[in-house]
Amino acid sequence: MSDKGKELYGHVKERIDVLHEPGTLESNFGLFWKFASSIKTRQHDMKYIYDDSSREFVEKNRDRFIAMKDEFLHNMDYYVEKCIKVMRETNNMTVHYAKSNEEAQEIFMKEIGDTEVIYKSKSNEAKDIGILDTLRENNITVKETDLGDVLVELFEYKLPSFGVGPGAHFTKEEIVAKIKEKQGVELEPTASAIVEYYRDNYRKELLNDVKVSLTSANVISAEDGTIVLGENEGNISLLTRATEKHIVLCGITKIVPTILDAILVAKLQTRINNVSFNYISLISGPSATADVQGEKVLGMYGAKEVVVILVDDWRTKALKENLLYKEFLKCIGCRTCNYICTASRAFGNIYASKYGLGADGIIRAYIHDGIEAAVKDGLFLCTGCENCRHWCPVSVNIAEITKALKKEATEAGLCPPPLKAYQEKILREKNPFR
Amino acid sequence: MKLIYLGCLSKRLYESTCKNAVKLIQFLDEDFKIMEDAPCCGSLAYHITSDEIMKEHIDFVNDWFKTNNVTDLVTICAGCYTYFIRYYREFAGSDFNVNVQHVLQFIAEPANLEKLNLNYSGTPFKINYHDACHLRNSSIPIIDEPRTILNSIDNIEFVEMDFNKTKSLCCGAGGGVYSAFKENSDYSAKAILDNMKRGKALLTACPFCFTALTKVRDENNIKKPIIKFEDFLIKLLEGVDPLV
Repeated sequence: MSDKGKELYGHVKERIDVLHEPGTLESNFGLFWKFASSIKTRQHDMKYIYDDSSREFVEKNRDRFIAMKDEFLHNMDYYVEKCIKVMRETNNMTVHYAKSNEEAQEIFMKEIGDTEVIYKSKSNEAKDIGILDTLRENNITVKETDLGDVLVELFEYKLPSFGVGPGAHFTKEEIVAKIKEKQGVELEPTASAIVEYYRDNYRKELLNDVKVSLTSANVISAEDGTIVLGENEGNISLLTRATEKHIVLCGITKIVPTILDAILVAKLQTRINNVSFNYISLISGPSATADVQGEKVLGMYGAKEVVVILVDDWRTKALKENLLYKEFLKCIGCRTCNYICTASRAFGNIYASKYGLGADGIIRAYIHDGIEAAVKDGLFLCTGCENCRHWCPVSVNIAEITKALKKEATEAGLCPPPLKAYQEKILREKNPFR
Repeated sequence: MKLIYLGCLSKRLYESTCKNAVKLIQFLDEDFKIMEDAPCCGSLAYHITSDEIMKEHIDFVNDWFKTNNVTDLVTICAGCYTYFIRYYREFAGSDFNVNVQHVLQFIAEPANLEKLNLNYSGTPFKINYHDACHLRNSSIPIIDEPRTILNSIDNIEFVEMDFNKTKSLCCGAGGGVYSAFKENSDYSAKAILDNMKRGKALLTACPFCFTALTKVRDENNIKKPIIKFEDFLIKLLEGVDPLV
C-alpha cells in the first residue's frame, strides 16, 4: 500500500470531517449547495418561466449541440483561424492566439500596460488560464463586479464556490455585519438594502473609472467573430462599454461555427442555470462612429479597443493526441453535470478544486496540476453513477474521464486503501469478501 | 449449464434474498443451478484496474464459465449484470458466449410473468421503485422490466419517483465508494428516500442500493420499508403481506 495513497485518503477524510462540523466554512457552503443544486435540478423544467420546459429545450436541440461541437472539433484549426481572421480584418479587434497559459498571461500583462486596477466579470476561464494569480503576483488590483464575487472578495472566501451565485451561501446578517466591519456602514439585513448599497456606491466607479476590463466569453461565433456574453446584473454591459480597453480572455473551445449556434448555446446556458440572462451582448468590435463625413473613428461612447486572447494550452494537445480528457473539449460550461452530481451534492466544495466545483473542477486540476492534485481534490468521491453523462446536453461522457483518472491514480499508488484492498482480494481470491 | 449468479455482496449479506431469488428462478426454469465456487465478476475493481489486468480477470472468469459449460446466466445483482453486459463483451469479444440476464429481465418475459401469475388481493397500495445506476446505465438497460412486472399486479399501483429511469438519483454507494467514503450515501440515499412521496414502500433490485438505503433509513428513523424486489415477489407468491 502506497504511503501517498494513505496520506491523500486521510486528507480527504479530514476535509469531510470539517464538512460535517457545524458552522465551518465548508459546512455552511455544503448546506447551501445541497439546497441550490437540488433546486437547479428540479428547475430544469422551468415551466413557470417558459412555455416549454428547459429539459424539452435541451432534448429538442441536443442533436444540434452535439453536431456543432463535433463540427468544430473535426475542423478546429479551420474555425480558430477563420474566427481570428474575421475578428482582425472585419471587426477591428486585436486578437492574440496564446499557445499556453503562460503565453496568455504574458500577453495579458503587455496589453494592460501600466494599468494598476483591472475590473472583471465572473469567469471560470480566468481560473483555468491562471490569470488571477499572475495579476496578484504583479501587484495589480483585481476588482470583481458580479455581486456574488464582490461578496466573496468582501469575505476573503478562498474555497471553491458556486459558479452562478458565488456568494449565495453568505446570510444577509453575515453580509451586513461584514460591510459594517470593513466599511463602517450600517445596513438593514435585507437583499434589497445590500443591492442598493452597491448600486449607490460601486456603480459610479464602474461608469467612470474603468480603464481596462476583463471578461470571458460565454461562446464565440467563428462565422462573424462575435463574442456572446450573457448576464443579469448589467456589470458586463458596463465593463464592455464604459471602458477604454475590453479584454476577452478564454479558451479556443468557446468557439462554435455560426452565430445561430452561439445564440443557442447562450440560451441553453440560461435555461440550465435558471438565470434569465436579462442582457445578452453580441460584441462584434469596439465602439465606432462614421458620423463625421463617413470617416470611421473607433471609441465613441463604448470601448475604444477590444482585445481577444484565445488560449489553446491543453486543448489542441488533447484533441490531436487523443488524451483521455478529449471529450471534455465539447463542454459548453452549462454546469448541469455539477448540479446533478452525486458526489458534488453530498460533498459541496470538498469535491472541487481551485478551478471550480465538481468533476469539471477535478478534471481541470488533473490537466493543470496532475493526478495527485485530482485525488487530493476528491476524485475518489465519484461513485461513477453517470448522472453527468445522462444529463449533459452535449452528451459529454465525463464519467468515462473520471473512470480513466481513477485507473491512472491507482496505478500511481494513490487509490484509497479500503478500495484498493477490495481490488486486491478480487484479483487474488476472486472474491472481495473472502 | 444454466447458472444462477448470486453475486458476492448478496451472498455475503443477504442470504434470504438469495434463497428467494433462487426459488423464483428455479420455479420458472428448474434447469438453473447455483455453484458455490463461482468467481467474482470483478465489478468492484473495474473503476481502478488497468485494462490489461482487468482483461486477465475477465478471461479467468470466462474460462471458468467455459469449463463449467455455462450457456445461460441469471444474475440477481445489478452490479454483476451491468458488468457482464457492458464490459465482458468489450474485453473478451465473441469469446464470451454466455446469455446474461438480470433476474428482473428474466421474470418480465411474457411467458414467465404468466407462469408466475403474480396477484395481490389485500388492501390496495402505492409503491415506488428506485432505478439503480447499474441497471439504467447498462448497454442493455433494465428500465421497463420492473415497471412491466409491477403494472401486471392488481391492487398495487406503481408510482414513479421524481427522478427516475436514466435520470434517477444515485444512492452514493457505487464504484466502491461505500468502502472508502460512506459519507456519500448519508446524503445521497437520504435524497432518494426524500424523493419517494406517495409510495408505501421502496423497491430496489440492487444490493448496493439496498445496503445504503436501509442503513440511512434506520439512521434517520424512517418507517417506510425498503424491499429487495425478489423478496417482494416471493411474499406475493406466498400470499403474505408484501410490505412487512
